[in-house]
Formats: sequence, C-alpha cells, structure tokens
Amino acid sequence: MSYIHFPVIAVMGQFLAAFLVAIFGSKSRKASQAITLIASACAFVLVCLLIKPVALDGQIISYWMGNWEPVSGYAIGIGYEMDALGLFFAVLVSFIILMSAIYSLRYLEHDEAVDRYYTLFLMLSGSLLGLVMTGDLFNMFIMIEIMTFSAVGLTAFRNYIPEALEAAMKYLVIGSVGSSMTLAGVALLYAQTHTLNMAQVAAKIGAMQASGGLTPTVVFAFGLMFVGFGIKSFMFPFHTPVADAHPVAPTSFSMVFSTMVIKAGVYGLIRIAYIVFQVMDKSSVQILITAFGCVTMFLGVTMALAQHDFKRLLAFHSISQIGYIITALGLGTALGLTGSLFHVMNHTLFKALLFMCAGAVLHMTGSKNLDELGGLSKKMPHTTICFLIAAFSIAGIPPFNGFASKWMIYQATYEKAVESGNFFYALVTVVAVVVSVLTLASFIKVTMSVFFGQLPEKYKDAKEAPASMLIPMWITAILCLGTGVLYQLVDRTLTAPAVAASLTPANYVDKMMGSGYAASFSVKDAVATAVQHMSYWNPVLWLTLLVIVMLGVFIVILSGDNERGPVLKTKEPVADGKYATFFSGEKYRHSHMGGSDLFWGFKHDMKPYFDFIEEKHSGVLTDYTLWTIVAMAVIVVYTFVFVK
Amino acid sequence: MDATIHSVLSVNYVAAIFLIVLGLYTVVAKTNLIKIILGLSIIDYGINLFIVSTGFNGGTSPQFTLSELFSGQYFVDPVPQALTLTSIVIGACVDAMALALVIAIYKRYKTVDATEIRRLHG
Repeated sequence: MSYIHFPVIAVMGQFLAAFLVAIFGSKSRKASQAITLIASACAFVLVCLLIKPVALDGQIISYWMGNWEPVSGYAIGIGYEMDALGLFFAVLVSFIILMSAIYSLRYLEHDEAVDRYYTLFLMLSGSLLGLVMTGDLFNMFIMIEIMTFSAVGLTAFRNYIPEALEAAMKYLVIGSVGSSMTLAGVALLYAQTHTLNMAQVAAKIGAMQASGGLTPTVVFAFGLMFVGFGIKSFMFPFHTPVADAHPVAPTSFSMVFSTMVIKAGVYGLIRIAYIVFQVMDKSSVQILITAFGCVTMFLGVTMALAQHDFKRLLAFHSISQIGYIITALGLGTALGLTGSLFHVMNHTLFKALLFMCAGAVLHMTGSKNLDELGGLSKKMPHTTICFLIAAFSIAGIPPFNGFASKWMIYQATYEKAVESGNFFYALVTVVAVVVSVLTLASFIKVTMSVFFGQLPEKYKDAKEAPASMLIPMWITAILCLGTGVLYQLVDRTLTAPAVAASLTPANYVDKMMGSGYAASFSVKDAVATAVQHMSYWNPVLWLTLLVIVMLGVFIVILSGDNERGPVLKTKEPVADGKYATFFSGEKYRHSHMGGSDLFWGFKHDMKPYFDFIEEKHSGVLTDYTLWTIVAMAVIVVYTFVFVK
Repeated sequence: MDATIHSVLSVNYVAAIFLIVLGLYTVVAKTNLIKIILGLSIIDYGINLFIVSTGFNGGTSPQFTLSELFSGQYFVDPVPQALTLTSIVIGACVDAMALALVIAIYKRYKTVDATEIRRLHG
C-alpha cells in the first residue's frame, strides 16, 4: 500500500521546504510564505490520510530507511514506526503548524528577514513530526536536538529585544543539559541491549522484566531519559525557560512552542515509560511522575496569578496544564492515560487560541501589559469571543473541551486513590480541583483587564485583527467547542486508539521485528485496556444551560445602569493606598478595581507564599541550572533506590 | 574480554563520568556565560567518551571487505563510533550557536555575567 510512505514524505517535505525557503526566500517574502503554507498543508493532509488505516483499522506502519530490514532478529537500519500514539501527536503537530503558518502571514508584517523565521519554523515542524514517527532512539535524540535549537533560534528571532536573547540563552543552556542527559540514557541503553531500535530495546527490556527485574544500567538509563524528556516537557523544576521565552518570542512561534514543543517532551515520556521501559505498572514510578506533575500544576497556576504580562501569564498556565497531563499519565491506568491524551489535545487547541488572541491584541495595540490594556471588547469583538471560548475551555467550564478532559483526570486520580488505597492520590485529586479553580480566577482577571472595563485613551483607534489572523482563531475556537460536545467521536477516532497503542507494547514490537518476536522475549501488555468512560454527564444539556445562563447575564447587563467612576490604578504598595477604599469609605462609590487587582485580597493573604516563589524565580541562569541539576540528582537516586 | 581491556575500559568510564560531573559543576558554579558554555561542551565530551567506550572490546578496526571476512573475526562495534561523530557535530553546532548568542547578549547588556542578565524574572 502506498500510505506506508506518507510519514516519511511528511517529515522530509518539511526539511526540504526549509532548505527551499533558505535558498529562494531571501529575495521575496511571498515566496517563503508560499513554500511554508504548501509544505505545512501537505503535511497536514498526509497525516490526516493516515487516520483511517492507523487509528480506525488499527494498523501500525513500519518503514525501514533504505530498506535495511532486520537480519536474524537484529535491527540494523533506522526504522520509522507510526502507531496510533504517534499518529495522535502527528495530527496535532501538523494542525498547529498549519494554523501558525496562516497566522504568521500578517503577524510578521513588521519584521525583517522572515525567510530565516520560516526556515527555522519548517525545521521545527519537521523535527516534531520526525520525533513522533521515529522508531529509533538515536534518531529521536537527533530530532530533539533539531527541535530544541530551532526553538532557541525562533525565541531569539526578534533579536533587537534584549530580553529575547536572554530568554534564548536560558533555554539553550537548560535544554542542552536535557539533550545531553537523553543522549547519555540512549548510550547506556545501547551498552546494555546493543541496539537502538525502540521495538528491539522494548523486547529486551521485556525479557529482563520477566526474568528477575531491571538491571542497574537500565534503571540508570530510565532515570536519565526521564530527566531528559522532563526537561523537554518543562515540568517543575525545569519550567523556567518556557516562562521567559514566551513574552519575547513572536506569537506565531509561541503558539507552537506552548502547544507542540512542550508536548514533544510529553510524547517522549509516554513512549519511553509505557513502551520502551514498560515500567508504568510499578507504583514507585507512578508516584514519581504524579508527584512531579502535581507540583508543576500548582506552582504554574500560582505563578500565573502574580503576573502582569499577558503572554508570561499564559506561559505559566501552559506549565500548569502540562502538570495536569503529566499527573494523569503517571497514574498508569487506562482512564488516566485517556484523560492525559485528551488533555494534550484540548490544551493544544485552547492554548493555541489563547496565544493567537494575545498576539492579536499585541499586534493591534502594541501592548501586552495587563495594567495598561482594557475595554477592547468593543474594538475587537471577534478576538474577545474567541478569547472567551478559550478561557472557558482552559478553566474547565462545561461543555467546553477542558471540562471533559479535566473531569476524566479527576475521575482517574480518584479511582486510583480508591484502587490503591493510597492517600497521596486523593490529595492529587484535591490539588487538581483547586488548580482548576485558580485557573478560572486567573482568567477572569485577564478577561476583565484586557477585554472589559474602561478603554484607555491611547487605544481609542484600535482595530479588529486582519482576516488571516481571525481565520485560524475561529477554526480553533470552533474545535474547542466541538471536541467538548462531541468528545465521544474524538475519543473513538483519536484518543482510544492512542491509549490502546500505548498499553500494548507487544504489538509495537511485533510489527517492527516480525510477528512472534515479542512473545519470544515475553513482552506483556501492561494493563487491561477497558476504559470506563465518563457516562455521568451530557455535554448537550450543559451547552443548553450555558446558553441560558449567558442570556440571563446579558439581560442583566443591558438592564443595569451604566454609571461608572474612574478605575483606581495608583501604583501604591499593597498594604495601603488604593485598597483602603474597599475596606471602608464612600470616597469612590462608583470606582472600579483595575482588572489585574481583582484578587488582591487573596494575594494579600497569601503574601508570604507569593513573595517566596517570586523571589525564587530570580531570573539568574545559574539558579535555574542548579534546580535542574538538583532535581536530576534526586530523580536518578530515587530511581536507583525504588525502581527495581 | 581480558584483564587489560577491562582496566582500560574502567579508566574510560571513570574519566567519562568525571568529565560529565565536571561539566555539570561548571554550569552551576560559574556565572560567566562563556564558562557555562564550556561546561556544556565538557558534558558533551564526557558523553562522547562514554559512547565510544561502550563499543570498544579490544578487537580490530571494523574496516574490511567481504573477501577479508573470516569466521570468528573480532572487531570493535562501529555503531557507537558513528553515534559519537554525529554527537560531536551536534555539539559543535550548539557551541557555535551559544557563542553567537553570547556576542549578541554582550552587545545589549554590556556584560556576560549571568547574575546581571536577569531582566526576565518573577
């Protein structure tokens, strides 16, 4: 069949287009844009054509480069292997790349040398597609390196901004440590198993598991690769580069960075933990991953509450949502993985939309400071509606998609707590719910301070974003609602096959190395794949309720009086000054609170905690690398002591 | 594998781990960006030494034609050497990119001290 060539054509097409842009793009902006659009549209179509054979019919595509097939049970060539898990990520990557390419047409109109942007952009998309399709550990490392360094280059693209260079430097150093650790893990695995093919490594480790447990070398390799992919997925305490890179990077890159570059690390974690090492049935590994995820989501959201920069705030929310994903994938149950992968997709959609809205505001007003912006809903109605849809999704309001996946995650953690009788997982459920509430609070703050309230004098002539930016925004917004309402369809076509693929390493091994290979090494499928889906709620009823509530709110707003005083925006310390009037006093009866001060009471009460974390995020590179290396040491020691 | 090969390999592994740890120490302890980049390179060199050592078993060089092949021939594993070469090339590119960034940072910030380059924080 011809579709077995599609994965390789999709990857090679991106790299080929990158070189074409480098050659022909310097003369004309139109040429680089055209090449990028064609290449990303081709990749999207090719990947979508694979949904039918791979996800629905349950095939796995294997492809040996140069037709170097295994000889007497030994893989000697580089193999590409696309199962439903890889396909799930590939669909998301190619979709986001296409949206970002369309969005960047007008967004980059004020920038010089866009051919360099598009060259790096296509390298990034090629490496992301290659990463999720490859079946070879060293090839995976190469793809990670290309991904990291094109991402560093894109972060520093607006190199007239000093902060862009600073952020790129921090990302480079911490990302480089992560890549090195991945490479060291790959080398250790090679020393132990004498192969780089993931299927064959999985078979050998499966045999090891069946006969007396993992050797120390393999445990060490797992620890190092966990750190490596943990750094690539920016979980705590490796999260600092992502927060620094977002405010200064071009938004059309931010949306890819925040959605797919981070998810590449998540993909790596799922691939190595579930398929290569098959360690997810060990409770020590489950607790390790879940604990890191849990801290990540809490720290991310509390840091987001303290932010005044639109894009930096969204960056911390990315970290927080990644925490959800890592927590759920660490449970090791089918329901947890379903919730995790569903949240991967939902986060991709709504975070891309949030960044596109932030980018539209930045492009049309020139500001991303939450204290300066305000009242843009009248000037930018489309952006406002899109932003509201995305904010409802991320905050988990039914029937938007964020609710569906968060609901699965709550269920999965609670189910795990009941099953294992471990109090830790019950605590995780509580943290997940609290983080969701804080996310909602944070997005109320952003919505109020950017789109509602009073319009500052200097933004009187702000206009709506151009059509080429609104089109990808609306497509993503419709998908945010659509995947929430039609979650069963999405689950059937994408998520459930991906979960089944992650939980059946034997199929993965057999397709690559020949049938019967896995059984000869006694690779066993990790967990039973039956998933109890959330039959406890009906999205259509929630949608009806939401419409009724919104109508009610709208009527109340229309019937209310429109008298307004000035917004209090003095820059005095928190303890006194502008807040005094809210304790007592008639002085400013009609005064409004600035949007970014909405939760000042909460922040005032938790001041020691907020001061502590803000001081710890000192911005000094060596502090961040110290966190990285301490965490690395802790993880490696933990795996040595507890993972057998 | 005889005893001399074993001792040679032990030295290699110890040296590789020493280089990796030295590199990590440099990245954490030094605040000069150039030194941090040197630290990253040292980590890479340690890993390269480690990879190339995993393939060494005291055999001959893995270069031969089919007519020179005989049964029971003993040669070192060529795959780690290929990996090391790739890794060296990647490392060189990383260094070039990092140093280019340092030059650009120095032009804007007038310093290469990591503790002073902290406009993004909190």
